[in-house]
Amino acid sequence: MITLGHFLAVGAILFGLGLIGFLTRRNLITMFLSAEMMLQGVLLNFLAFGYFHGNLTGQVFALFIITVAACEAGLGLALFLVLYRRGRTLDSSAWQNVREAGLPPTVDVDLFAEPEPEEAMPVLPVAGRKPGAPSLEGANRV
Amino acid sequence: MFDFSEPIGMLLLALTLPLVGAILAALCGVTKFAKFAHWPTIVSFASSAVVSILLLIEVGHGHEPLSITQELGTWFSVGRISVPLAFSVDPLSVVMLCTVSFIATFIAIFSAGYMHADSGFARYFALMGLFVFAMCLLVTANNFFVLVAGWEGVGVCSYLLVGYYYAKPSAAAAARKAFLVTRLGDVGLILGIFLLWQVGGYHTNFDQLFEHLAKHPPSDATMTTAALLLFCGAVGKSAQLPLYVWLPDAMEGPTPVSALIHAATMVTAGVFLLARCAPVFAASADAQMVVCVIGGLTAFLAAFIALAQNDLKRVLAYSTISQLGFMFMALGAGGAISPRYAVTAAMFHLVTHAFFKALLFLGSGSVMHAMGNVIDMRKFGGLRHLMPTTHATFLIGAAALAGFPLLSGFWSKDAVLYVLKEASESRSPYHNTYTAILALAGLTALLTAFYTFRAYFLTFWGPEKIPHEAHGHAHESPRIMTVPLIVLAVGAAFAGIILEPMTHGFEHFLERSTSIDFAREAFGKHHNLMEKKHGLDWTVMLGSSVIALAGIAFAAKLYLRGGPEVVHPKLEGVYTLSQNKLYVDEVYNVALVKPAELLATTGRQFDGFLDAIARLFSFAPRVLAAVMRPLQNGLVQFYALGMVLGLAVFLTVIVFRSAK
Repeated sequence: MITLGHFLAVGAILFGLGLIGFLTRRNLITMFLSAEMMLQGVLLNFLAFGYFHGNLTGQVFALFIITVAACEAGLGLALFLVLYRRGRTLDSSAWQNVREAGLPPTVDVDLFAEPEPEEAMPVLPVAGRKPGAPSLEGANRV
Repeated sequence: MFDFSEPIGMLLLALTLPLVGAILAALCGVTKFAKFAHWPTIVSFASSAVVSILLLIEVGHGHEPLSITQELGTWFSVGRISVPLAFSVDPLSVVMLCTVSFIATFIAIFSAGYMHADSGFARYFALMGLFVFAMCLLVTANNFFVLVAGWEGVGVCSYLLVGYYYAKPSAAAAARKAFLVTRLGDVGLILGIFLLWQVGGYHTNFDQLFEHLAKHPPSDATMTTAALLLFCGAVGKSAQLPLYVWLPDAMEGPTPVSALIHAATMVTAGVFLLARCAPVFAASADAQMVVCVIGGLTAFLAAFIALAQNDLKRVLAYSTISQLGFMFMALGAGGAISPRYAVTAAMFHLVTHAFFKALLFLGSGSVMHAMGNVIDMRKFGGLRHLMPTTHATFLIGAAALAGFPLLSGFWSKDAVLYVLKEASESRSPYHNTYTAILALAGLTALLTAFYTFRAYFLTFWGPEKIPHEAHGHAHESPRIMTVPLIVLAVGAAFAGIILEPMTHGFEHFLERSTSIDFAREAFGKHHNLMEKKHGLDWTVMLGSSVIALAGIAFAAKLYLRGGPEVVHPKLEGVYTLSQNKLYVDEVYNVALVKPAELLATTGRQFDGFLDAIARLFSFAPRVLAAVMRPLQNGLVQFYALGMVLGLAVFLTVIVFRSAK
């Protein structure tokens, strides 16, 4: 039996995934998709509530949300296009220069990048006298 | 338009001519006619002098009180103060106008030679014109505020002329000192004027004010306060104790400027003010007493300081202070005898003093001119053959100053001593003090004769000695400089005898002044004293002749051989004290200047402290902002995170509240 709780859980998962995606990804299009995913999570809640209440209000809301999302998609993508033309990049951190003057830029650290292999140190051959060995005073003087 | 044959028209003409001269001289300065800048000034002064003398002739006869007033409209009017531009022809103003313009004319002619080839030639003459105009405004005003306008104008011009060599730090400092010290007195003057305005029916014109005071006399304390406040102004302007320190320094300006300041335009203003306000002073015997004591002390101390000065001009400067002290003594004697004699004696001494002091200063200027600007009497001597005209005229001036019998200074000093003697014999409660002042005046007269002739002998007698700064062509001054000397010498010799003992014209003329009329009325009300008949007093004449001759003889005994000075070892201490000007400058420096500097420094530190507090307040928002600012880092996701966290907080609150 699929209960309201299941619907809400799926909606919450969609919303949460979308939120995490929006907050963590730097690609503008991915962020946009994540935002859409959050919208779908909310939409699912509306539908579920509407279904279980037995009225059409939720569905009406859903239709509106889809319409608004479509408009938003058109507008957002147009903006991305303009940004891409200006900066030749879709990285959202490339537009950090609108920050407060004098602040250092935020540099992303790739937590999962492979550590660079350490450069091999030159190895010196063993030379000289072993510490503690008897002195060879005068023996190797030229 | 005014009719220039009427007295008031002539007065206004004499007043405005120097201003026109000043403007023309200034215009010469900005065009290529700068080296002719002395012409407008000299011509305007001379014509002003001629007009003044014609005016004197016009109004000089008759016995009825003379006061012709004219208002040229309102200067300003605020609330109860209404200040008309009022001028008056009365004996005081006419006498002063004649003296000022006559003396100034010859000083201007002398300056044309003295300042020859100076780079600021036009500036000098323009300022001189302005100076004389301000003084004429002061003496012709029939209104306290117009008088103050002239008074301050004189102050500004003296500042500019004393600081004429403005690139020289000592001249700039002297100018500043002159301005600031007289400013101290001016505070009193303004307060006194407002006090009189308040008790005098809100009038500012002299005649209306005095009339109101005569009809509705205020309390004695008020009158004494008002009189003393006015006297403060006179003390500053006329260089009396304790504000005399600016005058000796004021000779940093060109020498003819000193002549102008000391003789005609600046320091006489205080004496004139007291003469003009005689009705106020006549109503307060206490204030008169203060005036007399201050005058006596100033006269004596200045004469004492003058004894050992090595700088010729400095001797003359201190002698001016001392002679002004004589004038104030005479004015102060009005507390015990009729102010009519007191004021007349003071004004008489003012006029004769103007002649011989201008002469002496111009003479010292002539010496300075020949000696390559050296004025230290130790460096030159025996100039009587080199500069015969200067020598002869200087001798006449010095003799007049010393009170040599029959010269002008003799008569006027006698008049002063006479009123003091009368005051000491009066029934005034202060007659003992007046006796002491009379003794002090006699002693001062002796010192005066001594130091004047000390300066004269050191300069003109003894072996001829010329400083190397003269570059070998020490010479008698050109005629443009000697002619004024001769004219002033004639004045210094004969002005006294013509004006007073022979004719009594001066006294009769001044008596017609309304100021003195009101003063007599006020005096009569207060004292119920009979006015004594005035005449020549043989004891005073004999006494002062002996004093003058003794002083001269003593100076001749010591200095006829010329320098260098030998001081008797017993008098070493007194000599050092005199030479160091009684350490007054040092005392003022420690007592007034240093504390003021300390206060200023403290003030500046406190200001810095306040600034620091203000900065602390402005610092708080900046600290707050420094915390907040990193939030705007330009990353979209960071903002989104903020929104999410905010939403989370809201949701938590809502959930917990609805769960409760």
